[in-house]
Amino acid sequence: MTQREIMLKKIGMYKFALKDIALYLDTHPHDEMMLRKYDEYESILKPLVEDFEEKYGPLTVSVRNKNRFLWINNPWPWENEEDA
Amino acid sequence: MFVYEKQMQYPIKIKRTNPQLAKLIISQYGGPDGELGASLRYLSQRYTMPVKELKATLTDIGVEELNHLEMIGTIVYQLTKDLSQEEIKKAGFDAYFVDHTTGVYPSSAAGVPFTAAYIQSKGDPITDLHEDMAAEQKARTTYDNILRFCDDYDVKDPIRFLRAREIVHYQRFGENLRILTDKLDSKNYYQFNPSFDKKCFKKCK
Repeated sequence: MTQREIMLKKIGMYKFALKDIALYLDTHPHDEMMLRKYDEYESILKPLVEDFEEKYGPLTVSVRNKNRFLWINNPWPWENEEDA
Repeated sequence: MFVYEKQMQYPIKIKRTNPQLAKLIISQYGGPDGELGASLRYLSQRYTMPVKELKATLTDIGVEELNHLEMIGTIVYQLTKDLSQEEIKKAGFDAYFVDHTTGVYPSSAAGVPFTAAYIQSKGDPITDLHEDMAAEQKARTTYDNILRFCDDYDVKDPIRFLRAREIVHYQRFGENLRILTDKLDSKNYYQFNPSFDKKCFKKCK
């Protein structure tokens, strides 16, 4: 795995945990332990995303670099990094 | 509102093409128990849901199904990338190729195009939740059947992830059914349609 893929996998891991906890909270909205877990994972995820976007470009539409629209850059999620 | 995230829900990196397998897996893209039907089913049913937990669950699972649609599209795309004409013919992929080349098209493994007839939105939450629970189990069986034909770890791994999600969704829908019936008269849950006959909710609402 490339460094980019390793970072993306870690981000995906936390995003997935958050997604799954949110789904659980939909039917258990008063579970304080899970509410705390959600908060905890969210605070871990935030700097990981910032770090990734700084190095490899945006994961959601945004303009950080004022010279170029980096959003359009390959690879897209269905592509392998080597082919892009 | 929807915002696209430029990342797959679960990483997919297939090194060996296999058009034969793609022909089977495409059923989870546009087949009778596929991810396109799943997302449309939940995102359509949610409007008339009478209870907040149900609205949230159908919205969140409906959105997750769109992630899964993207995962299946990716598997099909990567399994059919850079094929030679000979490989296409040998794998029996030629019939698909004639109509779509290697474009990803929503159809079943037998080549039947996607149809909204695969889903129902009945406007009765008890009925809809039973459909949703059945849909998750049907998708789980389809993934089990697909796994019987997979010998490549790169494909098996994301398919197993998707299979596990069907079970989690089934669990969540089951909880929603209990949340709903807890608010109704236990002497006869089926006397009213909880979306249409609002008076059926117990006073504690």
